[in-house]
Amino acid sequence: MLDLERLNLRNPWLDVCAIALWGLVLLKLWLGGQLHLLIHPAYHWLTIFAGIALSAIALVKTAELLKKTSRQNSRARNSQAEHLNFFPPGLGSCILIFTAVLGLIIEPTVFVSATALQRGVNDFLPITQSQPQSFGQVTRPEEKTIIDWVRTLNVYPEPDAYSGQKVNVEGFVVHSPVLPDNYFTITRFVMTCCAADVYPVGLPVKLETSRDRYPQDTWLAVQGEMITEEFSGKRQLTIQPSSIEEIPVPANPYHY
Amino acid sequence: MTQLQSAFTIFLSLLVEALPFLLLGVLLSSALLLFVDETRLIRLIPKNPLLGALAGSTFGFLFPVCECGNVPVARRFLIQGFPPSVAIGFLLAAPTINPIVIWSTWTAFRDQPEIVVLRVAFSLTVATLLAWTFSAQADLRPLLQPVVARCVPQPQPAMASATSPLLRSGTFWLGDAAGQRVDAMDLQTQMLTTPSEKLSFQDRLNLLLANCVQELRELGGVLILGSAIAAAIQVGVPREIILSVGTGPISSIVAMMVLAAVVSICSTVDSFFALSFASTFTTGSLLAFLVFGPMIDLKAIGLMLSIFKGRAIIYLFGLAAQLVFILTFSYQMLN
Repeated sequence: MLDLERLNLRNPWLDVCAIALWGLVLLKLWLGGQLHLLIHPAYHWLTIFAGIALSAIALVKTAELLKKTSRQNSRARNSQAEHLNFFPPGLGSCILIFTAVLGLIIEPTVFVSATALQRGVNDFLPITQSQPQSFGQVTRPEEKTIIDWVRTLNVYPEPDAYSGQKVNVEGFVVHSPVLPDNYFTITRFVMTCCAADVYPVGLPVKLETSRDRYPQDTWLAVQGEMITEEFSGKRQLTIQPSSIEEIPVPANPYHY
Repeated sequence: MTQLQSAFTIFLSLLVEALPFLLLGVLLSSALLLFVDETRLIRLIPKNPLLGALAGSTFGFLFPVCECGNVPVARRFLIQGFPPSVAIGFLLAAPTINPIVIWSTWTAFRDQPEIVVLRVAFSLTVATLLAWTFSAQADLRPLLQPVVARCVPQPQPAMASATSPLLRSGTFWLGDAAGQRVDAMDLQTQMLTTPSEKLSFQDRLNLLLANCVQELRELGGVLILGSAIAAAIQVGVPREIILSVGTGPISSIVAMMVLAAVVSICSTVDSFFALSFASTFTTGSLLAFLVFGPMIDLKAIGLMLSIFKGRAIIYLFGLAAQLVFILTFSYQMLN
């Protein structure tokens, strides 16, 4: 058992350090341009505000600790009395410091096919997930993104209605186990709020050959036209490609 | 390795999204505890127990605290002679019925506004009904911890307690509580012992800062544990298991209520936690999580033991669990 008293975990500098580090993590994610991998752009300002506010609190607290007179010192010690007994004294700060350091070292990643397969790629939006709120004003089919197609399908789920329309979409390759070997799913992740709720949507692409030519997680631009295929008794909108091109991973891999 | 990285990304994103709301809650609750004078409130409270319960349940708008902050405030209400229905209504509803929590819920579930509305409606219903039930017990003191019971005024002259000499005694918190770990906030102790008008602006600011740092440290730690559990479940537990539990009408509600009680995540940020289950769990079960979690969880039970005896907490827990289950299950069946 650790001797918490001896480790002096009630040291007020520990709190300052924890708060300052988290302020730093949030600001680093913002300035490093990684926030969009973690949360919806609509909420970036909240995170930025929190980063600035945490840093400010840490600064003010530092100033206070530095210029403290002995009378205030004794009050500060009293104020260390925990108002919660969920954690032993100081443990909260240690957890905060530890995770903040991890946050500074480890870069957030872009989700790949493994996550897509775990969460199930569909050509429809999950029932309990967000209902489509906007359909955009895209009328030309070749300007639709994968999410536009999926939203359109959600509203009018008759694949034959779209047969013959032009397609031009970008996404990454997922080898779905439920599709035959000459199909892959061109996939994008959709984010409603933060990375915890991203879910994949995708459309099957029909190939002449085996899908092994296009390894999983390769980013592709697929052009062609829509056809209807039948998979395990269910008719599904499928892309008949005329050209498949490899593209670099886009700066912002998520749809919103 | 990929899995570990995905888990960390989910973990970090939950924190990045939740921290601003935690910070806002901490800042506002610190500020309002300093500047709202609840002795004036007591005169405005309706005498009728049902109306009192309803009033108590909506006090969260004045004291936007999460379930960590509500216990000290509810205890203060009891000691200052507020009717028990008001204090219990506040205790159960305040963590949900307050502007910050409603906003964060809306942020998370803006595509499903019914979740936001029903969360508020169900929480209000459960809290008011429970508080009303408890008001049948005219003298609450047998259910309270002796330390608190001694400070609670007699039920009849309750209204006179605004000037009770107990309030001025100054050291009863620390003195009486010597035997148990009381979680009295430094700030609140100071509030009780020092008439607020005597505090200088500088003192207030210092107290506010101290309170912020303290809450951030404690609640931040809990938030990190909760986010880590959420991320681990998302990445580590096979999808088939989650799906089989999450799509059953009863199993999903029970599972989410147990999760809510175990994870003890702060109500200002629990909607982001729930959101990570949104694609696999039924809407009813998400609601059960969002309504039940703020009322009763392991962390809150620890805190509530500083007011109530175990018996009272078992009543509260049992009644709240049943009501939440009935409400969310009926919602699920109607849809």
